[in-house]
Amino acid sequence: MDEAQLRIFVSILQNYFERQTTRAAEVGTPFLGEANALPVFDYTGVIGISGARRGCVYFTAPGDLLRDLLLRVGESNVAEANLADLAGEIANTISGNARRDFGPDFMISVPVVVRGRTQSIQMPRETKAYVIPLRWQKHRAALVVGVN
Amino acid sequence: MFGIDLGKYRTLVVSIFLFLLFDLGVLVLNFVISSQIAHDAEAVNLAGRQRMLSQRTAKAALQIEKQAASDTPDRKLPAELANAAEIFDRTLRAFMQGGETVSGSGSPLALAPLDDAEAQAILQRAAAVWTPYRQAMQAALAPGANADAVAALVQRAEAANLELLGLMNDLTTRMESIAASKAKNLRMVQVGGITLATINFVIILVHFIGHLRRADRDLEHARKQTDDILKTTQEGLFLLDPDYRIGSQHSRALGGMLGSEKPGGASLIDLLRPAVSQKTLDTAREYIDLLLKHDVKERLVASLNPLDRVEINLSSAPGDTSQRYLKFAFNRVTENKRVTHLLVTANDITKRVELERDLKESEERSASQMSMLVELLRVDPAAMQEFLSGAGSALEHMNSLLKDQTEGREAHSTRINGIYRVAHRLKGDAAALGLTSLAANVHGLESLLTELRERATLTGENFLPVTVRVKSLFADLESIQNVVARVAQMRSTVLVEAPRPAVDADAQALAFVQQWRAFAHQIAQRRHKQVELSYGGLDLAELPAVQRETILSVVNQFIRNAIVHGIETPDERRLRGKPVAGRLAVYVMRNEEGGLALSFRDDGQGISVEGIRQAALKSGRLAPERAHTATDRELIGLIFEPGLSTQGSADEDAGRGAGLDAVKEMVVGQGGRIRIGTTRGEYCHFRVALPAPAEQPDVAAAQPANQEIQT
Repeated sequence: MDEAQLRIFVSILQNYFERQTTRAAEVGTPFLGEANALPVFDYTGVIGISGARRGCVYFTAPGDLLRDLLLRVGESNVAEANLADLAGEIANTISGNARRDFGPDFMISVPVVVRGRTQSIQMPRETKAYVIPLRWQKHRAALVVGVN
Repeated sequence: MFGIDLGKYRTLVVSIFLFLLFDLGVLVLNFVISSQIAHDAEAVNLAGRQRMLSQRTAKAALQIEKQAASDTPDRKLPAELANAAEIFDRTLRAFMQGGETVSGSGSPLALAPLDDAEAQAILQRAAAVWTPYRQAMQAALAPGANADAVAALVQRAEAANLELLGLMNDLTTRMESIAASKAKNLRMVQVGGITLATINFVIILVHFIGHLRRADRDLEHARKQTDDILKTTQEGLFLLDPDYRIGSQHSRALGGMLGSEKPGGASLIDLLRPAVSQKTLDTAREYIDLLLKHDVKERLVASLNPLDRVEINLSSAPGDTSQRYLKFAFNRVTENKRVTHLLVTANDITKRVELERDLKESEERSASQMSMLVELLRVDPAAMQEFLSGAGSALEHMNSLLKDQTEGREAHSTRINGIYRVAHRLKGDAAALGLTSLAANVHGLESLLTELRERATLTGENFLPVTVRVKSLFADLESIQNVVARVAQMRSTVLVEAPRPAVDADAQALAFVQQWRAFAHQIAQRRHKQVELSYGGLDLAELPAVQRETILSVVNQFIRNAIVHGIETPDERRLRGKPVAGRLAVYVMRNEEGGLALSFRDDGQGISVEGIRQAALKSGRLAPERAHTATDRELIGLIFEPGLSTQGSADEDAGRGAGLDAVKEMVVGQGGRIRIGTTRGEYCHFRVALPAPAEQPDVAAAQPANQEIQT
């Protein structure tokens, strides 16, 4: 996955936050992480990638960030189910836009939401994944891209 | 029949036609005979009436005679007589010749002449009696008739009455008999007709039930064959209708291919929608329409098939999608020269596609590795190992600098400078070894960092290209490691080593060999290593006790030393292209002087001169200046000195530096000598020579030249 493709993912997320809250998420210094040591917060929306390249992309965020985001968009119900739905919606946004931007070489799956570390996320083990730290309203989150 | 081709139904139709014909025949006969019976019944009634009329005329004649003397004669009697006579006469003639008479109700009734000879004979006799009787009546009833005419009538009546009654009675009986006979015939016809119809029905039943059973059996057999084919075929077979719907009959494999439990009845387009792009889906729809609705040659449009390689993705866990490649082929199904369906065959071509892809990747990898191979063949293996180890650490260090999320201009500058320093060193090292492509890639990283330095403002996002470049360096390094492993394999194959004694299979079973092997495995297990020990040469039991004990003890020390210091871990060995299990080869033989020669060789990493230098410094055995000027030979000689260990801390296997000095003491004590051969990264070889016991020289005299070192 090259720089331009990574930027697509980053800009999808930035646009999402900007459109929803009028404030874009700040991007930290991207780094590389081994499959067994990647950041996972309370809620993670995972999308699988196949086709010419295989792997997965996920957006992971703590409950506090998702709760603030819900309140910011006028949703007062901040129950766990709603937080998970929001993580799914963000992943869905990434998935939908990525389908449009990447073309037929990348097959992008429907997102799955994972709470905490209860379910293992199937990242490719043989390569390091890109970890793109995000900060929005002092909350930390991350976009992780692991593609062969 | 009737110009219609009835095919296999011909027999059935003929049988049913016969059945109806029999039923109709019975019906017609029934109708005809029934009407005749009705007619006969009427005739019987009329015959009965004739009997009654004969009596009435006689009675009327007698009453007319009786009243002729009275003052008030009954005026109705002559008319009654005339009427009765008229009816009798008309009926008699009608019976004989055919004609009209009146029924019991007074309505006109046409009669055919009786066609029975016996009845006609009765009628002839009755007419013979009736005619004079009738003439007498006419005379008596004529206007102005006198009493004589009446007397003559009465006389005639008395003469004819009984005969006429008897004849009419006979007629009635005859007529009843004819009617009964016809009724019997009718019953027989009915029974015959119904019997024929029933037989026909039974034939139909037997013939067609048998036929249907055979047809059902054939059908069931055919259905089972179809089911077996659909169950076992590895292809996805189904019919597609013009609405793109999959038929209810499809092969079992289809569900698995499309990831749908019940594909029957579902739309193929809907099932493919998540797997292929909208454009492919639209083209597929157009292609199917083309085959279904247009008169084009199948072969001509086959190349337009957009579904000849479709990738289907099935998810089983978050982020884990499995791919399957399918090839769909379409053939028309026609009925009356009209295309009704398409027979679709789906084949799983995943293995073929993966094989093609692997082949392509392998070719690309081989091409890129070949140029790298040329670079790497020129590099010294030990230097390469050191470089790889250092380069890996350098890249990890760069990544750790990226991982630090401290914000701000200063933190970013520190990060850039830190990465730059590491990169610069890495580039220099790579260039020094002639790894030009790696050096060029690191140079690219330096350029990126220089650009970042010059930016007025910096954010974390600006480091994205740096991270991407670091990842590509990791990938380069991995490629180099792979090639190095291959080079090491080649080197080990072509390396000209000192000849090793052949391994004697019997020797492997000797008790002391088993003991060495168990000892070696015990230490290796503690060290998470793997070893194989082989032995060749003498059975030690043949040796004098002193020599035997020396050999056993020396070999034990060598085993311990080789596994702790020489043999690498399985991962390291794999990386260097060596077998996972380290090899220890022991050989004992008699030398030319009658003494013993012991060879102990391991294929580990060899002796680290640098490690000995550091250990000697640390232990104070060598002063720093001396340590730096000492030759390799001098340093290796130190491994036989007491208290020197290259292992950082002591454990049960090594670390106190008290192993090889004991070996030296034993060997030298017996007047023997030790020689060492080693190549860094490849092997270490100890050769011990022990003199024959009788020739043991003085220990002190042997000490000066007791070890020889080859590196």
